[in-house]
Order: sequence, then C-alpha cells, then structure tokens
Amino acid sequence: MEDDVKVLLIEDDVAAAEMYRLRLVADGYSVVIGRDGQEGLRMAADETPDFIYLDLRLPGLDGFEVLERLRAGAATRHIPVIILTNYGEPELRERGMKLGALEFLVKADTTPAQLSESVERATSPRAQPST
Amino acid sequence: MSTPEPRWDDPLLEDNASSALFKEAVTLASRVASSEARNRAAWLLQLRGENLHCVTASEPGGTQARGPYRVPDHPSLDQAVTSGQVVEGPSEFLIPVQMEGRVAGLLVVGEPDGLDVAARGSLMTIANIVGFAVGQAASVSDLQREAERSRRLERVKSEFLNIAAHELRSPLGIIRGYSSMLSEGMLPEAERGVALSRIADKAEEMARLISEMLETARLETDGLELELEPVDLLQVVHDAVNALGPMLGADHRFVLAVPPESIGMVVDRRRLTTMLTNLLDNAVKYSPYGGEIEIGCEHDDRLATIRVRDHGIGINAEQSHLLFTRFGRLVTPETSHIRGTGLGLYLAREIARVHGGDILVSATPGGGSTFAVELPLV
Repeated sequence: MEDDVKVLLIEDDVAAAEMYRLRLVADGYSVVIGRDGQEGLRMAADETPDFIYLDLRLPGLDGFEVLERLRAGAATRHIPVIILTNYGEPELRERGMKLGALEFLVKADTTPAQLSESVERATSPRAQPST
Repeated sequence: MSTPEPRWDDPLLEDNASSALFKEAVTLASRVASSEARNRAAWLLQLRGENLHCVTASEPGGTQARGPYRVPDHPSLDQAVTSGQVVEGPSEFLIPVQMEGRVAGLLVVGEPDGLDVAARGSLMTIANIVGFAVGQAASVSDLQREAERSRRLERVKSEFLNIAAHELRSPLGIIRGYSSMLSEGMLPEAERGVALSRIADKAEEMARLISEMLETARLETDGLELELEPVDLLQVVHDAVNALGPMLGADHRFVLAVPPESIGMVVDRRRLTTMLTNLLDNAVKYSPYGGEIEIGCEHDDRLATIRVRDHGIGINAEQSHLLFTRFGRLVTPETSHIRGTGLGLYLAREIARVHGGDILVSATPGGGSTFAVELPLV
C-alpha cells in the first residue's frame, strides 16, 4: 500500500531534500519536492500529495504562511503536515501546532529513518483523523 | 578616554529634575540679583562647541530671546569661557558654570552695575550648584546609556546564539542523516560516494562556522594576533577558491582574472584566506539564481586589490549600513531564508583592517555586488 503514498517535501535546502527523498523512495513512497513556499503550495494543490513535510525558512512565503494557506484551501485542508525545521524554539513549535501541524521535527535530531516512520504513522489507516 | 560633552539638551536632562533645577536656579539668581529699585533678569547658557545656547531664562520668553551666541564674536563671553573666571561685561555679569573642571556654560545676570558683593557671592554659589548638578546628571545619563547599550548587546548576543544553533544544525542534520543511512546499510553502492562527500562538505561547513564564531569572540576580547609570513597573494586567492570550489552547485562558477606575476606580501595567510572565503561564500549565497562570480586581482606599487563580483540580488541601500556590523544580517523578504550567522563580512573587514587595508563595496539592488579588498603592499 505504501506505493500509493505520495509525499511532498517543501524544502529549499537541496542537500537535505535529496537526502530525505533517497530514504523515502527506498521505503516505497513517491516523493515530489517544492523548492519554495509558492511552489510548495502549487504542488500541494496540483499533485494531491497524501502527506507534506514543510520547512519553515523558505524563500518568499515562509513555512507558517504556507501552512496557513494549506489549511485555508479546500483541496489541501486535510493533508497532514509535519514541520521539519532547524528551529527548535518552543514558541515556533507552539505556533506550528496551533496552525494544525501534526508534528514538529528538528532536522538535526531526526534521522531519515525516523522521518520515514513519521509518514507511516501519519498515513496508516489507524492514524487517520476520524473527522 | 575623552570626557563626554555636557548634554544639557539630552531628553534625560530636559524631562527630569535637572531642567526644573535649571529653572529654579535662574529664578533664584534673578531674585538674588534684583532689589526694590531694580529687577535683573538671569539666564543660563550652555556651551556647545563654540556657541552658547540659552537653556532657560528668568523672564517669560527669555530663552528664545537669548542667543545663541558665537563665543569668539563676543569679547566678554569669550573671556569668561576661556578664563573660567567671573567677568563683568558692559551690560551683563557672567559667571562660568564649571563641570568637572571645565566651563560647560555661563550663568548670566543683566545690568551688573550696583550689584553688591553678597549678591555676587550668592550668584557664584548658584552657578557652582548648577555645574555640580549638570555633572551628576551627565554621569547618570552616561550610566543609563551604558546600561541600555549592554542590554541591547545581550539581546543581540542571545539572538545570535539562536542563529548560530540553527546554522550548525543545518549541516549537522545532513551529517547525521547520511551517516545513519550508511550505518543502516540502506544506501545503494552508487549513492555511498555521494553521501561521504556530502558528509565531508558539511563537516567542513561546520568547522568554518565554528572558527568564524571563535575568531569573532577573540576579536572582542584580545583582538586578532596575526601570524605574519611572506606570501604570494595569488596563492591566497587560489586557497580560497579551492576551499569553496567543491561546494559550488551546478549553477555557480568562479571565474579568475589574476595577473601572471606573483604579488609578494607579508600577511597572515590563514586569516586572509578566511576573509576571501567569506567574501566568496557571500557572493554565492546572495546569487540565488546562480551565475558567475568573478575574482580579480591587481596591484600597483602601493596597493593590492582583490575584487569579488557577483551578479546576484545586490544590496538594499537602506540596509547597507548593517553590512559589516557584527551579527548585522540584511534581512529582506528576498534574503530571509538565506543561511548565515551575520559574522562573515564583519570578520572579513576586520581581517582586512588589521592588515592595514579595508573592504569597499559597491552594489545596486538586483544588479549584483562588488567587494573590493584593498591591502597596502608596504
């Protein structure tokens, strides 16, 4: 069933995006990458991903703005989003969770394997929100 | 350290007890000097450079009517300011207000003829009290400024720590990520070489960040102690290009235009390489759409110049004053996502300066930037 799961990585750091892609693809997910906030939003609407990883520091729109717009869009409202950033400040974490992020992961503390597990948790049928 | 100029016009002085004290002092001086037969006006002048400005006057509207006076144009004012002694001018009695041993202003009373000895003595006492108050107020105000400055520095430092942590986490995340994949054995053969070179690059990036921070801390405390040696400046240029070259993406290219002959100098090779590496790194970071980064080098008998020119986003004129300041990153919607500690250019210019040189910048928003390092050859 993992073959059906499409992950959108909204990430401007090419090295990081490539590394995560490598792991996610190896675990059977299909991966698309948005290089900035605008591109990420467009891909979220066009590619209908099952899941989104969102960086906070992005060119143009920052991650919070992207998350707000994702939540406001009819087509993207229900896509689970995990924030994946190098900012660890509690107030940013709180803001992200308030905006509806599923988790807030610090890149330096998250291995690609753990990342892949977080998609599995979020997209397995039991974890789907009941609403 | 030079003694600070008295700042009677400081908001701290205008808004607190000092200004009330000045007002009372001139009212009292006027009352002391006046008799039933004659009213005498009093006013207080502050010396700013070679001009005397009226701070307050006993009569309504007097402050506006008195001065400012250019001291050299008025012999009696000049005499009182220069000598620090009481002067009886043709129409005024002038008493210097001394602050920490020098004249900071004058207490002036009009129509001196017929002013008795007791009144003159009291006026001098009033001037002394004003001088003392001004000195106290200035030192309180200095302390407040100092406290504000260190609060600001503390705030900047803690912001910097956040930035530094973030900057170190970026390469650390890649190192941890690839090394975990290598140790899990999940990377295909073809990817392992790439992973190892990514790890090496990111470790190098972390090492540079750490040494940048340490150098800045060192600058703060002891200044930079240079390890001077005879060096060919072109070798420094090659060192910097070679250090960063492998980390360039496909979109960026270094283009060298250097003279064939060597440029001998006595410099700190490691520091100069750091300086140039910072400039090159900066040029790459602020050319987000790629492009050529031209590195030129030229010299005459007196000066060697290294130019780093990019075709990137240029520099916003309103923020250019922040360019070389410590922690002073130029944050605009266009640059807010660009990594950086805000130390690179600061450190680069300090390194140029301890070598007796400087870094000049010319840039236009959207039109790229050129940083020119000038280093004296003698």
